[in-house]
Amino acid sequence: MGEFKIHRVRFFDYMPTGIRALAFHPINERMAVARMDGSVEIFHCSDNFFQEKIIPGREQCGIEALSWVGERLFSAGLNGEITEYDLTNQKAKYTVDAYGGPVWAITGNQQGTHLAVGCEDGTVKLFEVNEDKIQFERNLDRQKGRIFSLSWHPSGSKIAAGMMDMIQVFNVETGHSIHRILVDRGVGTSRSKECVVWSVVYLSDGTIISGDSVGMVKMWDDHTGTLIKSHNITKCDVLALSVSQDEDSLVAGTSEGCVVQFQFISVVLDKDDKEWVRTRTFKNHTHDVRAVAEITTAVVSGGMDTQLVVRPLLDKIEVWSSASALRKIHFPHRNLVSCARKAGLMLFQYPSHLELWRLGESEGIDIPGMSLSIKSKPEKRLHLKVKGEEHIRCSAVSPCGEWIAYSTASRLRLYKLNFDNNNVSITKISKLPKVLSSANQLCFSSDSSHLFSSSTMALVHVVSLSQSGCKFVGTLKPKSGSHQAIHLLAASEDGKWFASANSDHEVNVYNLQTRKVHCTVPIYSSAVSAMGIHPTTNCLFMVHADQQMFEYSIEQKQYTDWSRLVHRKGLHRIWWERDTPVTNVMFNPQNTSQVILHDMYMLCIIDQSLPLPGEKTQFYNQLTLKSLPEEQRKSHSHAFKVCKTFKEILCVDLMSDQSLVVVERPLTDITTQLPAPIKQKKFAT
Amino acid sequence: MSKLTQTQYESSDDELPEEVAFDESKTAALKSVKDALESARREKNILKEKRRKRQLLFQEQKKRKCLPEDLLEEFDALPQKQPMTKDNNNKDEEATEEAKKMVPKSLQDSYSVVRLKDESAAKTMQQSAMDFINSRLYGPGTKRTTNAEHLSLQKKRGLNQGAAVEFVNKKWGADHKVKAEKSNKRFIQKQKLVSS
Repeated sequence: MGEFKIHRVRFFDYMPTGIRALAFHPINERMAVARMDGSVEIFHCSDNFFQEKIIPGREQCGIEALSWVGERLFSAGLNGEITEYDLTNQKAKYTVDAYGGPVWAITGNQQGTHLAVGCEDGTVKLFEVNEDKIQFERNLDRQKGRIFSLSWHPSGSKIAAGMMDMIQVFNVETGHSIHRILVDRGVGTSRSKECVVWSVVYLSDGTIISGDSVGMVKMWDDHTGTLIKSHNITKCDVLALSVSQDEDSLVAGTSEGCVVQFQFISVVLDKDDKEWVRTRTFKNHTHDVRAVAEITTAVVSGGMDTQLVVRPLLDKIEVWSSASALRKIHFPHRNLVSCARKAGLMLFQYPSHLELWRLGESEGIDIPGMSLSIKSKPEKRLHLKVKGEEHIRCSAVSPCGEWIAYSTASRLRLYKLNFDNNNVSITKISKLPKVLSSANQLCFSSDSSHLFSSSTMALVHVVSLSQSGCKFVGTLKPKSGSHQAIHLLAASEDGKWFASANSDHEVNVYNLQTRKVHCTVPIYSSAVSAMGIHPTTNCLFMVHADQQMFEYSIEQKQYTDWSRLVHRKGLHRIWWERDTPVTNVMFNPQNTSQVILHDMYMLCIIDQSLPLPGEKTQFYNQLTLKSLPEEQRKSHSHAFKVCKTFKEILCVDLMSDQSLVVVERPLTDITTQLPAPIKQKKFAT
Repeated sequence: MSKLTQTQYESSDDELPEEVAFDESKTAALKSVKDALESARREKNILKEKRRKRQLLFQEQKKRKCLPEDLLEEFDALPQKQPMTKDNNNKDEEATEEAKKMVPKSLQDSYSVVRLKDESAAKTMQQSAMDFINSRLYGPGTKRTTNAEHLSLQKKRGLNQGAAVEFVNKKWGADHKVKAEKSNKRFIQKQKLVSS
């Protein structure tokens, strides 16, 4: 297989932010996730929950709620502004100030005509959704107290608003309040604390369901304004509620980390009187659950422990496969680490700064499996802070280690580094070509002479880098009309070919000498999660979000024989059952038939010269191969060699001196920096 | 004591008091009055002198701060004129340059310059909203524990049971260890005192 020296890196202090809001779009099957730092991510629910788009946030910006209106996504935050997002180019389109103080809730009606926002000053403001913008229409009657949550009746004629100690039901046309429903405070010591109605849901039959800070889920009748039933599900707050499309299932998220499901079923078999009954409890979170959403076959929840948990509902799934297992999404499906292969440097991308580290050196005899003593420790060479409030969208370091580029939502910065002995000096390239205003993805060519940046309208701009600065060379334009933003770029070793993949599953290959499209890879149903161009054979190796692999020969403009063999034979069952996507593809320069890939829990080397594993063969056969004698090993080995020593891998890259760098981020280290969880009393502790 | 009373005590009680001429006492009284007046006048003069000197000093300082008189006259004349000629422009620039050189702007230590844009009401409202959420979720009345305790509990009740994270991982609970060491030292010292 090959022997590699592995640098095990744990000094990337990657810290994700907690999830604040979820919004599901039933037709597109997209889930929008808003985080506490203002970033919004779009996950494709039917494509293995692949993280398609990331819109970075800003400093001092928090999102409180998200809402889909048709195909458009709106969010509102405590800074009092309503933001609409441009999902094609992955950035914020515009912001409108609501002029009501901090906005706590935003929701659109089912007809897609109006948007209601609940503000700090007690008003529910109605905005008309026009073609290009939203416009303020009117206020409903102003109330005394903040409005924490809103819910439209499916007909669009009434709105329920959850406030402090009460729920108000408004008639949208007149703007007056129909009912004022008083919510009980808790018993005992919590009687002095006001009860906050954190979320409300309005059903089409007139039932209003509310979750409050006492830990009760209450069902109210809006005709009479009285309580139907109340369920006590927890001792702390019920923070989020979500009802399914056909209104027969409700999920509630609590501060303890439990997600409780209620179903509208008849208590006695074959009788018609249905009521809301508590059915399941899911305990998949350690910290507060601040957002829940019910999609057709699963319950998605997210909270302060920064994980997105997808729990399939087994009564809605016909076939029990790997898709019906619990899934937790921890890390982003993009690379936050870029390596300067020839210089032994790594660039870590944090939200508001970049760190450049030099790897340490080891000494001692190389024995496989042994850890070597360190001669020189890894050291941080550069800490680059971003000016302004925006977060970094993408960053890259050139293979020679002399150029660093990063981009935020509004600007791009390029820096030149000089290393003399132990000092690093950095100069900012101030005169950048005007086309380099902002980039969705950045990539340096393998000889560090060119920088590729993908921007709006799916264009890739090429600039040449030299001692004197950078000059605009040309633009690579795709043939088809798709303008979706590009999320992956790959350049070939010899500098002739360039590949780009966008969110519409299109992969274009460009000829860099003519700067025109050379060919387009046939569109596959799943998004590309990682791709790379082989240094010698110039084959484009792509791995998709559903774990399918393709190898496309650029020069011959068709799939390679090995790729066709893989499809005929099919991949092993265990390969399909992995639930984290592959985020990096590398090639071993010493052995041209080896492809190195990794996902969050494994590192795999695919040897294209060896036979593919059949259905019955053991997939993880490294240990068994070790126990066999030399002669038998060859006959039993197959192409997929998986190493599971490293866990919670953020990135694996191959340096030019044949050493692998594995950047790990243990989840317990992330847990140490999270906010405090609720104290839970367990038996015998 | 005055001369008059002195002679009174020296002589006996039988004798008649001495005669003091009216003129003497008159002159003495007048003299004392004159003296008082004199001293008052002197004091006034001293104060006047002081004030005058201070006034001069201030005037000199002001002169030093101010622009030369001809420029001041120029400034007085300028607002009356309409479009300025080139000469005036040059003079103006010179004046502003000199002004920049001569006027050192200094603020007291406790003052700072802040833009109205930064200290807007929106930010304070946002801050108060965030404080409200924090106090409801993490403030008094909520039963919160630390991440270390949470992880330790999981370890105790989990599949692979192990010690609490503070003991396994050196980084956790470093401050607890320091406190424990300090209290140990104190205890030992106390014990020594008691036994010795």
